[in-house]
Amino acid sequence: MSTPQLSDPGPGPLRKQAPRLPQIPGRAVAKARLRVVPRRRTRTPRVPFVMLVSLVLVAGVVGLLLFNTSMQQASFAASGLEEQARTLTARQQTLQMELDDLRDPQRVAEQAQALGMVPAASPAFLQLSDGKVIGVATPATIDNGLRIRPLPPRKPASLTPDPIIREEVADTGAGRRGTGAGDREDGKKRDRQDRQDRQARRN
Amino acid sequence: MRLRAGFVVIAMVLSFFGARLVQLQAIDPQSYADMAAAEGSVEVVLPAERGEILDRNGIALAGSIEGVMIVADPLWTAPDAKPLAQLLSTSLGIDYFETLEALRADSRFEYVARRVPSTLANDVLDDAEAEGYKGLFTRRDPARDYPARDVAANLIGFLGTPDPEEGARPLAGFELTFDKLLSGKDGSAHYQVSGGNRIPLGVNTIEKAVDGDDLHTTIDLDLQWYVQRVLRQTVEDAGGSSGVAVVMDSRTGEITALADFPTYDATEPLESPKSAYVSRALADVYEPGSVEKVLTMSSLIDAGKVTPRTKLTVPPRLFRQDRPIKDWFPHDTIRLTLAGVLAQSSNIGTVLAADQFSPAALSRYLHKFGLGSTTGIGVRGETAGIIPAGPLLTSQTKDRMAFGQSLSVNAIQMAAAVNTIANGGVRVSPSIIAGAATTDDGVEVGTDTTTTRQVISADAAKQTMKMMEKVVDPEDGVAPSAQVPGYRVAGKTGTAQRVGKECGCYDGTFTVSFAGFAPADDPRFTVYVVVQDPKNGGGGGSVGGPAFSKIMSYALRRYAVPPTGTKPSDLPVEWGRPTADQ
Repeated sequence: MSTPQLSDPGPGPLRKQAPRLPQIPGRAVAKARLRVVPRRRTRTPRVPFVMLVSLVLVAGVVGLLLFNTSMQQASFAASGLEEQARTLTARQQTLQMELDDLRDPQRVAEQAQALGMVPAASPAFLQLSDGKVIGVATPATIDNGLRIRPLPPRKPASLTPDPIIREEVADTGAGRRGTGAGDREDGKKRDRQDRQDRQARRN
Repeated sequence: MRLRAGFVVIAMVLSFFGARLVQLQAIDPQSYADMAAAEGSVEVVLPAERGEILDRNGIALAGSIEGVMIVADPLWTAPDAKPLAQLLSTSLGIDYFETLEALRADSRFEYVARRVPSTLANDVLDDAEAEGYKGLFTRRDPARDYPARDVAANLIGFLGTPDPEEGARPLAGFELTFDKLLSGKDGSAHYQVSGGNRIPLGVNTIEKAVDGDDLHTTIDLDLQWYVQRVLRQTVEDAGGSSGVAVVMDSRTGEITALADFPTYDATEPLESPKSAYVSRALADVYEPGSVEKVLTMSSLIDAGKVTPRTKLTVPPRLFRQDRPIKDWFPHDTIRLTLAGVLAQSSNIGTVLAADQFSPAALSRYLHKFGLGSTTGIGVRGETAGIIPAGPLLTSQTKDRMAFGQSLSVNAIQMAAAVNTIANGGVRVSPSIIAGAATTDDGVEVGTDTTTTRQVISADAAKQTMKMMEKVVDPEDGVAPSAQVPGYRVAGKTGTAQRVGKECGCYDGTFTVSFAGFAPADDPRFTVYVVVQDPKNGGGGGSVGGPAFSKIMSYALRRYAVPPTGTKPSDLPVEWGRPTADQ
C-alpha cells in the first residue's frame, strides 16, 4: 500500500540533522516535526445507500404508476371533452339550422304576407349631399302582391266531369207545380257555366 | 420404473406443445398475428367536412351540418337485436331488416345509420341507453343541408343517398361539377381500445381529414328567391311549359340570379322528375326572336351602315326568294325610322336595314357577341347553340337571322350579348362563381377569369340604347308594361316561333322573352326573361315585360341604385308624316 519509509517515520535521520540546526527547544522541534497522518479507514454506512436506492426505485415505480394513472386520467378527460365538444357542436349546428330556416326568404315572405304586406313599389332616394329627392315614391298596393306559393296542380278533367243534362218533358198534370224541376235544371246549367268559366280562367 | 413412466408422460406433453408451436409459428403465423392485432383495435374513417356553397353575401346555399353516423358493436347488440332494431328503425326511419342484420353481424363495428342530425342521434342513443341496450356509438359524419330548398336548386344540385364505402354521391349541379374541390379528403384513425377508451400507449395512428373548400357563387340568395317566384308566377299565369330569368350585373358580368322553371326542392329531389334538375338557362337552346334585332341593329350602326334616324319604307309584306316575310301586326306600307322599326319590332324593317350586311358580316358580329359558343361559366350541360355557317348561311337565312330566327342560343349567351350594349359595347364574359374555382374536369372558372372584348363602339352602343328606350315608350313602343317607374329603361321584346320536338319544324308554339337594362344611361343590371310555349296568346311584351319590370325594380331597390333623373330619348319613330296619329 505505501512505502515503509514513509509510513514508519524512523527517528534516525532526524536525530542526525538536529545538531546542524540552531538550538531549538526539543518541544518545539517535536511540535514542528512533520508526520504523515495515518490513513483513516472509514466504513461507508450501507443503510443510506440502500435507502436511497430503494427510494429511487419506489419513487420510480410510484412515479410510473402516477404517470400512467394521469395518462389514463387524461385519456378519460380527453374522451369527456371530446364528448362535450361533440355535444356543443351538435347544439351549434342545430341552432345554425334553426337560424337558416328562420332567414329562409320563403318563410319571411309568407310571414310578411300573412301580416298583409306586399313588396314595395318604387322608392324615392334622398341625396344627403344637397338634400335633393330623386325619384317619385309610390305607395305599394295590393297589385304589387306576389304569389309566393305554386298553383295547386291542375286536376285532370275526368275529376270534374260536366253534368249530364237530360231534357225532361214535364207531364201536363205537374206542369204548374213543376217549377221546382225547372229551377233545378237552371241550377245545373248555371253550375256548368260556372265550371266552364273556372276552367277557362285556369287555362 | 415409475420415473420412466413419468418421463414418457412429460415427453408426450412436451411434444404436443412442440407440435402446437410449429403449427402456430411455422404454418401461417401471419393470420394469428393479425387476429391478435385486430383484437381490441379499431380502424375508423374520419370523414372530411364537405365545403359549403355560399351566395355572394356568404349565406349558405348548401351547408354541411354536423351529422353523425350511428355504429354498433354487435358483440353487445346481438342479444337485444330485435327490440333495438325496432327502436332504431322507427325513430330513425331506417330499414328494420338491414338494421337487424347489422346488429347481429359477426364483427365489432357495423354502420347502423349515416348522416343523422346529431341532436336526433343523441336522443335515440339516450332512449336506447334508458332501455338498457348497450353497444351503440356515434361518430362524426357530416350531412348536407339546403336551407333555401328550391332556391337556386338547379344550379347547386344535390347529394344522393350516401354510399357506405364511397361517402357523398353528388348527383347534379355544382355539387357534381366541383365535387373534388368541395369534398376534401377523408382521413383515418387506427387505435386500440379497452373498455371504450383508447389505450394511451397502444398503437395509435391518425391521418387527419382535410376538409373541403367552400364554393363562393355570385348568386344573391334573396334576389334569386324573388326572381324565382316572379318567374314561376309568370310561367304559370301564361300557361307556359318552362321559363328562365337571368339577372346580370352590367359592369362585371356577374350573374346575381339565375332562375329556372320548373325547378325542384333540393332537400327532396326524388319528388320531382329528373328533367327538373337541369339548368334550362344553359341546357336549352331556342330561337331568340326579336330580342336579337338589337344585336343586328347595333352591328349595323357600328359598321356605319345606318343610324337610328335612317328612314325605311316598310311594305306590308316582303317577298324574298323562298317565302314572304311578315310583320306581327298587319299594316299598309308605313314609313318608320330605324328606331321605329325596333320600337314596333318590325321584321320587314329589320331585314331591309340588314340588307346592308353580307351574311358573313352579320355572322361575324353575332359570333363576337358570344353567340354560337359556350359561355363556360361552370354550369353542367351547357349547349352552345347554332349560328348557321358554310352552305347553310344563305341570304335567306341571313334575312331570318337578322330578326332572330334560324339561329339558336341559350339564355346566358343572350343575356351577355344584350349586356354588351348596356356595357358600352364591351362584352364582359358572364360568371357565376366568385373568385376562381376549378371544376373536376380541370377548367378554371369564376370572376377571376373574366374576359372583356370590344364588340361594337361605345357610340353604337349608346345609339342602340336610345332606340331600345323607345320599345318601352307608352306611345311608340310595344312593351310599356316593362317600364320601371322612375327609371329610364332600355329593352326589347321577343316573340319567336318555336321549333317543335316532334316535327322539327315551327309547330305554332312560341318563345316569348324580354331583355333589357336599367338605368338606361348608366346601366347596373341586365335582366332577361324567357317563357317557353305560353298558351294565353301573350307575346314578349305582355308576358315578359311585367316580369322584367318586377325583377328590375326589385334589383334596383335592393342595390339602392338611384334613378339617373335624365330625360329619355326622343328619337322619331316615323318620318314623312308630321303628325303622328297612331
